[in-house]
Amino acid sequence: MTETIQLALKTLEAQLNQPLETALEACARCGLCAEACHYYRAEPKVEHIPAFRAEQLRSVYRYEHDFLSRLFPVWTGAKKLDEPMLANLTEIAFSQCTLCRRCTVNCPLGVDTPLMMRAIRAMATASGTAPEILVMLADAAIEKGKDPSFYKEMFLEQIKEMEEQLRDVTGDENATIPVEKQGAKILYVPLAGAHTILPPAVVFNAAKEDWTLSIFEASNYGVFLADVNRAKQVAKRIVDEANRLGVKEIVIAECGHAYASYRWDVPNWFAGQFDFKVRSLIEVLGDYIREGKIKVDPTAIPEGVTYHDSCNLARNGGLIEEPRYVLKNVAQDFREMTPNKDEAICCGGGGGLVALAEYAERRIAAGKPKADQIKQTGAKVVVAACENCRLQIGDINEHYNLNVKTTAITDLVVRAMRLPKPLPGHEAEYLFEGEGAAIARE
Amino acid sequence: MSEAKLFLDFKGLLCPMPVVKLAQAIKQIQIGEMLEAVATDPGVMADIPAWTRTTGNELVTLEKREDKTIRFVVKRAK
Ligand code: SF4
Ligand code: SF4
Repeated sequence: MTETIQLALKTLEAQLNQPLETALEACARCGLCAEACHYYRAEPKVEHIPAFRAEQLRSVYRYEHDFLSRLFPVWTGAKKLDEPMLANLTEIAFSQCTLCRRCTVNCPLGVDTPLMMRAIRAMATASGTAPEILVMLADAAIEKGKDPSFYKEMFLEQIKEMEEQLRDVTGDENATIPVEKQGAKILYVPLAGAHTILPPAVVFNAAKEDWTLSIFEASNYGVFLADVNRAKQVAKRIVDEANRLGVKEIVIAECGHAYASYRWDVPNWFAGQFDFKVRSLIEVLGDYIREGKIKVDPTAIPEGVTYHDSCNLARNGGLIEEPRYVLKNVAQDFREMTPNKDEAICCGGGGGLVALAEYAERRIAAGKPKADQIKQTGAKVVVAACENCRLQIGDINEHYNLNVKTTAITDLVVRAMRLPKPLPGHEAEYLFEGEGAAIARE
Repeated sequence: MSEAKLFLDFKGLLCPMPVVKLAQAIKQIQIGEMLEAVATDPGVMADIPAWTRTTGNELVTLEKREDKTIRFVVKRAK
């Protein structure tokens, strides 16, 4: 047995707990999960049935854990793990499953196929066979945490520039983007890039919020690798920052996996050091509108708007009504996709897949059911509160000629706030002349 | 005059896509050669140095230009 296989099997063993063992042992082979999976919907073939994917790991598990299977593997379909099998498992887990959990909620036994796909991802990561780019992105994030000094000065310069833009678009000379503000109520954690800093800054300033911006980004590629060690190191940067600043609450940018991990996993990983409330930016927007802390014009966006439920926000995070509440307050013509909410079809971009260029073709093929749903709404604007979903919807928009514009919720809220000037880069979409407000790029 | 072997345009790409594309592109040049790229997402100001530090490649230049684009040159070291 090679060292790679030893490491992979050791990692499988280390992960075995009651939920994983239950998933590995319970399957009625009814096939009901097939239609639940967007891969199968896009291309109905046996390899795209979630239970088929799970069976690939089950066969390895049986060989390791079932005496009869070890003696008579052909009888039970058990297989001794070798390198080609590990490569196949790795490819399945990283390119044919977005960990969306739609199969699980549609399975009469609740079989957790994505948990098994995560187990494979962890095996691949530990044995050095996981996609290199996900490892690089996780390690680069950890590096930033070890010594932020190598980029902090540049980061602060960027923030100063954004602050000028903020003052320019809002007309508010006192608008600020505070960084490392001791004792602030909220630590807002953006994604890398201005597009998740400037629009929320507009909102926080308008609401007169006591907030501060994190110097780190919310995304966590350790989560996609199912590598708890790396994922914890990435998250620790923010936990430490929140503790250092003494904030009360961590608000996560519009990002599916980051919200789900900070909401559910991080508090457990850092029990005793994590005394913070966690909210998504969407919840904050909802509260500001409800409480009248920001004023939005419900007529500002006349074009048809539809909302894509990110699996991590809706099915896995329970954020279902909040985004709709916000959107209905800013969009005149809001249209639902069918199915939606906790039954929403995955766009195909989750699980870190948008970063895996080698599987782009597969990812776009698996986005066909979402493309069909978008087309059926006839909407011109597709809102997604997750960066991965937006990137994927952008790609399927191009590939399937949907002719839509993809945007974040915060961008629409800012548009409905009717600032004196549009945000940089959004000029074409805003006419800012009342009646005429429409997407110019139709 | 840059001595880069490869020129890449990452304008309009949001993070982490510049890093994803850079990691792919670096394989197209030899060790010791350089590539040059232009990006617009300010996230690259942190992400590119973090990537070169962890992968052992060399960040030769990283600069914000007058037109607000960000130019960087990376030398393949591994
Ligand atoms: S729906 Fe559940 S029980 Fe039926 S085949 Fe799929 S995983 Fe197995
Ligand atoms: S988690 Fe989603 S992508 Fe993965 S097998 Fe289940 S339905 Fe398919």
